[in-house]
Amino acid sequence: MSDPRTIQEIQRSIRTKKAVRMTVLTIFVFTVAILYFSPVLYMHLSAFKTEYDAVSPSLFFKPTLDTFQKVLGDETMYGYLKNSLFQVFVGTIISLLLGIPAAFALTFGKFKYRTTNNKIYLWFLTTILLPPVAVIIPLYTWFQTVNLIDNRFGLMIIYVGFHVPIVVWMLHSFFSDVPVEILEAAEIDGCSRFQQLTLIAAPLVKTGIIAAGLLVAVFIWNEFFLAFNLTGNEAATLPVYMARFREQQGMFVAQLSAASTVVILPAVIFGWISQKSLVKGLTAGGVKG
Amino acid sequence: MKHKDWLFLIPGMTTVAVITQVPFLLTLVYSTLRWNLARPDLPVKFYGFKNYWYFLRIQDWPQIPEFYYIVWQTVLITFCALALCTIVGFLLALLLDHAIPGVNVARTLILGPFFVMSTASGVIWKTTILNTTFGWYGVIAKFLGFTPVDLISYHPIAVIVILFSWRWMPFFVLMMLAGLQSIPEEIVDSMEVDGTNWWNATFSVKLPMIRKHITVAMMLGLIFLVKEFGLILVTTAGGPGTSSYTLPYAVYMQVFNASNVGRAGALAVITVILTLIGINILYQTIQKRSAIYE
Repeated sequence: MSDPRTIQEIQRSIRTKKAVRMTVLTIFVFTVAILYFSPVLYMHLSAFKTEYDAVSPSLFFKPTLDTFQKVLGDETMYGYLKNSLFQVFVGTIISLLLGIPAAFALTFGKFKYRTTNNKIYLWFLTTILLPPVAVIIPLYTWFQTVNLIDNRFGLMIIYVGFHVPIVVWMLHSFFSDVPVEILEAAEIDGCSRFQQLTLIAAPLVKTGIIAAGLLVAVFIWNEFFLAFNLTGNEAATLPVYMARFREQQGMFVAQLSAASTVVILPAVIFGWISQKSLVKGLTAGGVKG
Repeated sequence: MKHKDWLFLIPGMTTVAVITQVPFLLTLVYSTLRWNLARPDLPVKFYGFKNYWYFLRIQDWPQIPEFYYIVWQTVLITFCALALCTIVGFLLALLLDHAIPGVNVARTLILGPFFVMSTASGVIWKTTILNTTFGWYGVIAKFLGFTPVDLISYHPIAVIVILFSWRWMPFFVLMMLAGLQSIPEEIVDSMEVDGTNWWNATFSVKLPMIRKHITVAMMLGLIFLVKEFGLILVTTAGGPGTSSYTLPYAVYMQVFNASNVGRAGALAVITVILTLIGINILYQTIQKRSAIYE
């Protein structure tokens, strides 16, 4: 009580203290974040170096686009890129086409036993837990007998099988937020089940569908184990290109950086865009269920 | 109406079953066969548990066969990476939970590595950071006055743990941050009014409140870590020798280098069993700990 300061002075000192704490915290958080991301940032930076500059690590240099031109002018990369785009587009769309109706039926479908919905949903979840090594051997021998090794469509089918459960898992919680009454009303008005899904439920869970699609697209874009083991030169995707880069092109740091930049940028941008819905999908799917 | 609902389910279920369940059952069958792709002269025949026995038997004690080392390395790498991801991930999530200017940018930066493909991250780390002559590690070590040792050949396990954690921690941060942000404002406010200190507020209030998020992050994270293959292939390639093999990597070597389908099948089945045991132990531990708060 013997504090001689006026109330205004005390308030002001509290405010300055808070401002100082905020500034320190902000600087600290950003230092941590930038350091965490620095390997990727430095790689982006090195992509603008000449091969000569890139030999010794440095942050300051004269930026050039030569290395990019060299990497993008390399014909071999386009083959891999085409395959990756094919897998991402076709694989994601088919995964969604199979996964959306399944998630819908698991949420609203009426089966003979009431527990059926939950049982099948759990079955889908357990398939997510299965590591790819558990299935690679039969797939490899099958593919050899039917000549699907190094075939785009072969790999694509596998991707669909592995990603449908993820779509089901993420969308199940989004569909659960749709009130049953809307669908019941639609049914009375003469909507078939198919129309209930396409005209009413699907538009309502649009964000969920986009999030699931983006997540699956990122997973397929980055998938390495299956692509590496089931493809040769014809159907290989970009992760395989990255893994082979050193043996095929040699030790060129700047070229390597430029190639990685081109290869990872789409996924990182996709990922960042979908961040918010991704969080909702992942937490709602996992935490509630 | 009832039977029509099945039509929505069957296409998806069939695809998933054919792609994931049938091959797994076949892997079980293969693991009991003598089948070597490189030896077409030997007929494929039933072999019982001999493939498992090949890995599991300890012929001349105290010499422990390679298989046990590989299992130990897999457990060690997965456990260390999981622990690092959870603990450091939680701390990062706490940091990112503050309402500071531009916090979304910081979140985005930390989330980044999750979307970078593992072969690219492995290659980046190997050439621009860990390389003793061209990488930052080498330059900084020389600047500080000691000779850099090649980390990839001298401490392969540590390198892999760090890389695994760097690549997958963002996922843990994402989940735990979502948990922290779902804590009602009133609770945070009332803690401030009550003058709860930071330690108690964090570990006695916030931590138990987001245990469901932590459970999901750890279970899925475990799967991600067990699956990880590209990072090992491009950084250490399992070496030197077999000192950084994990079980998935050993399966790959058995099929594609040794061409031994039977033995690879046995290893794959062992991998699945160990993964399930790991998930189960993790789940039980978390359940037990969270029962205290129920």
